[in-house]
Amino acid sequence: MMDEKFDCIIVGAGIAGLAAAMILARNNMKFLLIEKGEFAGSKNVSGGVLWGSDLAKLVPNYWEEEDGGWERFINHRRLTFMDDQSTFSIDFKSSHFNETPYSGVVVLRSKFDRWLAGKVQEEIDNSDYAMESFIATNIKVDEILMEDDKAVGIRTGEEEFHADSVIISEGVNNLLTRQVGLQDDYVPADHMLTGIKEVIRYDQKVLEDRFQLNGLSGMSNEFVGFATDGVEGGGFLYTNRDTISLGLVAGIKDMREKEKSPHDLLNTFKGHPVIQDTIKGGEVVEYSAHVVSSGDKRAMPKELYKDGVLLCGESANLLMNAGKAIQGMDYAMRSGILGAETIVKARERDDFTSNTLKEYKQALKESYVMKDINSFQDAVHMLHNPTMYQDVPNLICDFGRKFFTIDNEPTKKSRELMSESIKEHSSYWDLIKIGFKGAKSL
Amino acid sequence: MKFYVCIKQVPDVDAPIQIKNGDLMQDTDRMVLNAYDASAVEEALVLTEEHGGEVEVVLVGPDKAKETIRKALAMGADKATHITTEDDVDYDSAVYANILATFFKDKEYDVISCGKQSQDTDAGLAGGMIAQHLDLPYATNAVGLSIEDDNLIAKRQGDSGQEIIELPQPCLVTCSNDMNEPRIPSLKGIMQSKRKPMETTALSDMNLDESALSAKTKVTGYMEKPEREPGQKFEGEPDELAQKVANLLDEEENVI
Amino acid sequence: MSTLLTHIAVSDGKIKRSSLEVLSRMTELAEANGHSSEAVIIDANASDLVEEVQKYGASKVYTISDPIFENHQNTPLLKALSKVMDEADPFVFGFGSTEGTKDILGALAANIDAAVLSDVSEFELTDDGIKATRPVMAAKILSDNKAHGDNILVSVRSGSYDLNESPTEAEVVDLDFSFDESELKTTLREIIGASGDKIDLSEAETIVAAGRGAKDDEGQELVNELASVLNAALGASRALTEAGIMDPSLQIGQTGKVVSPQLYIAVGISGAIQHVAGMANSKVIVAVNKDPDAPIFDIADYGIVGDLYKVLPPFIEELKKIKG
Ligand SMILES: Cc1cc2nc3c(=O)[nH]c(=O)nc-3n(C[C@H](O)[C@H](O)[C@H](O)COP(=O)(O)OP(=O)(O)OC[C@H]3O[C@@H](n4cnc5c(N)ncnc54)[C@H](O)[C@@H]3O)c2cc1C
Ligand SMILES: Cc1cc2nc3c(=O)[nH]c(=O)nc-3n(C[C@H](O)[C@H](O)[C@H](O)COP(=O)(O)OP(=O)(O)OC[C@H]3O[C@@H](n4cnc5c(N)ncnc54)[C@H](O)[C@@H]3O)c2cc1C
Ligand SMILES: Nc1ncnc2c1ncn2[C@@H]1O[C@H](COP(=O)(O)O)[C@@H](O)[C@H]1O
Repeated sequence: MMDEKFDCIIVGAGIAGLAAAMILARNNMKFLLIEKGEFAGSKNVSGGVLWGSDLAKLVPNYWEEEDGGWERFINHRRLTFMDDQSTFSIDFKSSHFNETPYSGVVVLRSKFDRWLAGKVQEEIDNSDYAMESFIATNIKVDEILMEDDKAVGIRTGEEEFHADSVIISEGVNNLLTRQVGLQDDYVPADHMLTGIKEVIRYDQKVLEDRFQLNGLSGMSNEFVGFATDGVEGGGFLYTNRDTISLGLVAGIKDMREKEKSPHDLLNTFKGHPVIQDTIKGGEVVEYSAHVVSSGDKRAMPKELYKDGVLLCGESANLLMNAGKAIQGMDYAMRSGILGAETIVKARERDDFTSNTLKEYKQALKESYVMKDINSFQDAVHMLHNPTMYQDVPNLICDFGRKFFTIDNEPTKKSRELMSESIKEHSSYWDLIKIGFKGAKSL
Repeated sequence: MKFYVCIKQVPDVDAPIQIKNGDLMQDTDRMVLNAYDASAVEEALVLTEEHGGEVEVVLVGPDKAKETIRKALAMGADKATHITTEDDVDYDSAVYANILATFFKDKEYDVISCGKQSQDTDAGLAGGMIAQHLDLPYATNAVGLSIEDDNLIAKRQGDSGQEIIELPQPCLVTCSNDMNEPRIPSLKGIMQSKRKPMETTALSDMNLDESALSAKTKVTGYMEKPEREPGQKFEGEPDELAQKVANLLDEEENVI
Repeated sequence: MSTLLTHIAVSDGKIKRSSLEVLSRMTELAEANGHSSEAVIIDANASDLVEEVQKYGASKVYTISDPIFENHQNTPLLKALSKVMDEADPFVFGFGSTEGTKDILGALAANIDAAVLSDVSEFELTDDGIKATRPVMAAKILSDNKAHGDNILVSVRSGSYDLNESPTEAEVVDLDFSFDESELKTTLREIIGASGDKIDLSEAETIVAAGRGAKDDEGQELVNELASVLNAALGASRALTEAGIMDPSLQIGQTGKVVSPQLYIAVGISGAIQHVAGMANSKVIVAVNKDPDAPIFDIADYGIVGDLYKVLPPFIEELKKIKG
């Protein structure tokens, strides 16, 4: 009994792996979910906004749980352009977003993943394979076992375990994806970013007053411009229950060329006068850094499946960062769901070859995930453009300063101010190009 | 040989914690196997691997502590007893010791082993209390164990060196984590753990009297520790650093 | 009027300072509350030590002398302590938190069904017991505790209270005590690595502690030299005691000893919370570490960012100059 084969082994209990496990358990599959961290979430530093409503598919009515794994729901969004002294924000808040299922919740991964793993365990306990399916933590998968180019199981240390299928949801550092030959060993650094984040704690009352939070409502704020001090990327601030997550993502190659370290960048960001006012009084309780994909399709694996194996989440570089938000967790969740649904089909047909597994790719293609990745590629590329993360924010802030200045001089019309700012910070030509591209890409 | 190892589920001291209204709050509900108990389990496994026998773990705690029992079973313990309590009891070491001693009263064993302390409270009391209740020879703070004939030989870290103590069995020992490096459960171990026998007894069925269950000590609140003022950090040429700091210690602090 | 009793721990014929710290505190509490501060010495030659104990205000000193107390063993010590409890019926019985104390405190409490608080950093009397502060969660947090009952046991972390002399003329009570070898439940075979006249870490004024960064011979040599220049006691992080590089009795931290010297120099120690748990109460902390982000710098008064192999030689020279 013990050595019997599993229907599926899932490698990595991040968002993608947990989502897949939930679906497998719900469909009475016998599976193993293996996580190298001490517990689900222990290695996951990101934290941020889980966009969309897929969470409700996994944990129906999750918002009714008083102390669930999530921090706050988003009903307030802000996009901020910054130069070295000023910020100019587009701010949107709406009670429309108070309705459940929420369209975005802020999470801290070490808590959220552990909570979600608990929910998966409950689902396992209620399944036909309560005694045969497992979530195993503190176990690192060293190798995907392949026979005739078909995945047949995994190896950890000296131990081997066999399964009809393997879901690789190992995240951005995708060594196993490469081992099975789905991605080339070398992915250019300009397709990768580094994300760094601090969690800063406040008295809950202070936090709620400062960010105008009500109950469990929350705010997400993205930053472009000085946030990354001339390096490609952007900053973010999300409100948690009594902390904020403040951080940025920055292009690894660009950072190297400009001789900046993530640590320096974060300090510069925090040192900005407006940010200083925003975050003052808090205590840093956590600091973390992690690689993150850029959402550039060129970094995606050659294929998302192969006999006996599927790629879900960021191991397939499924992520999108088109300026207004980072979407990695929701993509991971949806792809995990779709991947597991495909495995369930494969079980029904008893066919775990590419023949069935290719339907995963099809399903993903028809979902918002691949649709968005495809249609926003231009926006992703645009973010590589210095005009976008340097000149535009500078210009907007310059305009803002002039526009809002009242100094006992004849006041200029805003159109005139705008053209002054443009002359100072960018050429008309660049802006026309960007404007044109931007309109098309977003 | 029959080993009983008393294991406790404790909050992970490495997890972020804060105090709210005098209560200790953990950002995440991260509970782990007490590190000292993990060493006790490890040592029992090593000794029974060598001399034959059985390791049974005993835990007094709420339902959610099952996870911790599984961990010990996944390491290799043969079976477990879970004495279940309500979720939010405020028992002190003495109450747990009363419960455990009552449990052991009619059991057969060669060695009972405990952690030398709980890593969250650092109390370090339960082991000695259990030994006293059961009138067992005992040693605390063991950093090494071995078996010779029918004796347990404990190397105990004392005030002035390491005491080598011979304990006739049955006996009790409390273990330091300096004893060994607890094994990390293998995947097979984790899988087997689900099938190992786990006896569950409700504390309320053990018929302990009221006084045995009422704690004589209570935690009335928690406080943040006053933080040390951040000091000065020096970087640069070793020679200069050395001189600067040496002089500061001499002239400013007067501690040389 | 109740009795506040202090156990005077003795090791190699010398009184442990932590016991006298507790006695100082007990005397202070006795004076403030109209109680009497008393002490008990249990040793092979307990009477020799009465004089020193009187300096700290004990109005009555019980002594139990027996050769069995040459070395620490829990069975005879428990028997003696129970006897003293019978005799003195103390409202509060205080101990310095030594390894010897830790070995018997739980058993003694269970024996007489007394409330017990171990390893407190502060305590005071209440109407029906004591109130005490205990560091918890690897000493990251302080907890407030209450204990109630007729007899309360409390052990106190070393360095929690200053020594405070208030000499008295104590009444000395030699208690009758006999112990037969056959009563021993365990056999003490030998004591290895006995410290002899080494400086006791928990009493040291200056400590040089080495961590994994100083694990090789050269590192060890530098640390030893630094300690000898400063006439300091040597300490270690678990990384070194675990690896067998330094003696286990030198470990400082949650598992090891709690220290509170005037000067603590951490060499090649990262500053894990379990280490810091044992040394955060040092008066001045100096850290030498090549990693500028090492957590030890968060608590160091003077942080030297640099390679210890390069920093220590000139540092030692400099100290020699100052000393010499
Ligand atoms: C600073 C930062 C901020 C971000 N902000 C956001 C945001 O606001 N919104 C958003 O949607 N996304 C955000 N992201 C991106 C998001 O975190 C990722 O896209 C998402 O976590 C991907 O999920 P995943 O399940 O694919 O991988 P992961 O969450 O990385 O999970 C992979 C898991 O696999 C485990 N694993 C890896 N290898 C092995 C092995 N060999 N054996 C066993 N286990 C293994 C890992 O330990 C890990 O737990 C952010 C990322 C960063 C770095
Ligand atoms: C329950 C429990 C109890 C514990 N109890 C204790 C305890 O009582 N005491 C204790 O110490 N630990 C204890 N630990 C272990 C503790 O968590 C750490 O693992 C340990 O303190 C690490 O020791 P370290 O700082 O020497 O080693 P490391 O953490 O490896 O640090 C070595 C440091 O040396 C620096 N370094 C390296 N080379 C150089 C160089 N050439 N020059 C300058 N700096 C250099 C490095 O930058 C690094 O910061 C306990 C752990 C647990 C789980
Ligand atoms: N609830 C419990 N269940 C099982 N063992 C326990 C429990 N509480 C304490 N112990 C044992 O006693 C040791 C710690 O005692 P203390 O430091 O007094 O809490 C632990 O290492 C365990 O071995």
